[in-house]
Amino acid sequence: MDDLTVKAASSAAVYKASPELQHDVEQFLYLEAALIDEHHFREWLDLLAEDVTYTLDTNTLAQVRDRRHGIAPPTTYIFHENKYTLERRVARLETGMAWAEEPQSRTRHFITNVRITGEMGDEITLFCNYAVHRAAKARDHHTFYGTRQDILRRNDGGWLVVRRALELDEFVLMTANISIFL
Amino acid sequence: MQDKLNIKGLVDARHGKVKPAIYVDEDVYQLELERVFGRSWLFLAHESQIPKSGDFFTTFMGEDPIIVARQKDGSVAAFLNQCRHRGMKLCHADSGNTRTFTCPYHGWAFGLEGGLTSVPLEEEAYRNNLDKSQWGLIQVTRLTTYKGLIFGNWDESAPSLEEYLGDMAWYLDGFIDRREGGTEVVGGVNKWVINCNWKFAAEQFCSDQYHAPYTHGSAIQVLAPTPENKADGKPLGDGQTQRPAWANGLGGVQFSENGHGSAFFFTEKADANVWVGGEVSNYFRETYPEVEARLGRVRALRLAGHNTIFPTLSWLNGTQTLRVWHPKGPNQIEVWVFCIADRAASDEVKEALKQSHARAFGPAGFLEQDDSENWVEVQKVLRGNKAQQTELCMQMGIGFEERRKDGIPGVTNHTFAETAARGFYQRWVDMMTSETWAEIETKTQEYQEEIVRG
Repeated sequence: MDDLTVKAASSAAVYKASPELQHDVEQFLYLEAALIDEHHFREWLDLLAEDVTYTLDTNTLAQVRDRRHGIAPPTTYIFHENKYTLERRVARLETGMAWAEEPQSRTRHFITNVRITGEMGDEITLFCNYAVHRAAKARDHHTFYGTRQDILRRNDGGWLVVRRALELDEFVLMTANISIFL
Repeated sequence: MQDKLNIKGLVDARHGKVKPAIYVDEDVYQLELERVFGRSWLFLAHESQIPKSGDFFTTFMGEDPIIVARQKDGSVAAFLNQCRHRGMKLCHADSGNTRTFTCPYHGWAFGLEGGLTSVPLEEEAYRNNLDKSQWGLIQVTRLTTYKGLIFGNWDESAPSLEEYLGDMAWYLDGFIDRREGGTEVVGGVNKWVINCNWKFAAEQFCSDQYHAPYTHGSAIQVLAPTPENKADGKPLGDGQTQRPAWANGLGGVQFSENGHGSAFFFTEKADANVWVGGEVSNYFRETYPEVEARLGRVRALRLAGHNTIFPTLSWLNGTQTLRVWHPKGPNQIEVWVFCIADRAASDEVKEALKQSHARAFGPAGFLEQDDSENWVEVQKVLRGNKAQQTELCMQMGIGFEERRKDGIPGVTNHTFAETAARGFYQRWVDMMTSETWAEIETKTQEYQEEIVRG
């Protein structure tokens, strides 16, 4: 988490991504979001590299004195996934017994503030903000707001997700479970 | 003592019946805060979270915010996290290190030992007439540490923690005393909100093995260590018996006493549940001889199963998840989840445990997602007047309680039973309807003697 913050801050200078690259990357992120929202989870998995990591840690509240010393309460994982566990999560949804998602909820992903911050070989790094709305069980509504760092790799004229380091802005998560992909 | 809320009419543990008004009624809830949470031993923190002088961790006892702080002499003290001036919440950090707790409102400052040490404009505003010695933080009356777990109790007259735990300590030791050096918390605390009554969560971890095969059907299917379920060429739980612990047919035990509960299946090998990673299951197998020497075969082999220390501290062996169900009104809880590891384990094993733990039992855990869903949906149904009046069945295994002769202590039954749920609600009634601890203990004792016949 700190690692990510440092990288975000150190990339404050605007990286001159070409309009074509920016457009191309945004369209990819929208496609990916649409596949999730339309429950085409297997097709979404195809857009993830075999070595993908997908992580989300908890947030903590630290006092000024400790923050100034760079000390923060310890965090833990909410997601710490690889391709295998992400595939197993999809398989879980397919069992018909994943009760948090039975009947299936509806989700809507909103991706904004897409900033490409670097290119290295065939990979690019980007930051973006996300909002995810989930409607479930007749009248439940949950929203998830956060930011994330993605690393994408060029693949056959398209892209693969290599890393997705999510942050979620809540301290105490105000929803009973995260049964969806953020 | 008067039972104005007719608590006794809502729970009939002897016949296994509960009226669900106990899960929604605001008056019942207020009485719980006073009589249950105000008198029980409540888990506050693990010692490993506050190793150094000045380290603090903030938590709750019932709905009261609490600061737990390591003192200069190495002892631990806990205080109500409330400034004595205008009642402001004093400390807003999850944890940290400090010399003083200074109120953000007017700047009153309190020392680590709770004393009021500094008042802004003391001379001008108070003409030096404020007796600071009278306005220290309210200290949690009793504080005891049991093998690394720090417990607090507001009630001077409560039994000691050891008496309160009774035979439950035998089961707790099987979780936190497996290796020399005890345990520690790995990583931070996962915190999230579930819109359900605290008793659903506490009762399930106390008594409900029965839900696992069905509620967690999806997770079991997709995480089972079959050859198809492979990561990096190795299945999860590599080398374990290729069945969930509850399917192995060797039988098991449910324990109930003083409102606490525990249950597990017998196994032949040191197998944890199917969802732990290969490194974790290897660790349990490798350390088995040491653990067996400390705890004996039954507890050394026990790497699965559920537990609740009344009222709100629960854990799962093997999965290494410890949690508190903090009540937030009758219709909501805030879950606080800690990953517990043997201190003597390697960093690699601790990291693997942390990953396994989050995979199975966190807000996004393969299993835990479905637990919270059940409780939330029950709570929604209970908005209905008829639903609140409808008796619920809690009769599994009723009349089959026994005391075993093989050294497994307490009132027991087969693992699929609601003995521990009945014991949990009986204890709850005893606390809700008794003025004194002596009265509580007598009632609980009578109940326990009555249900073990012959």
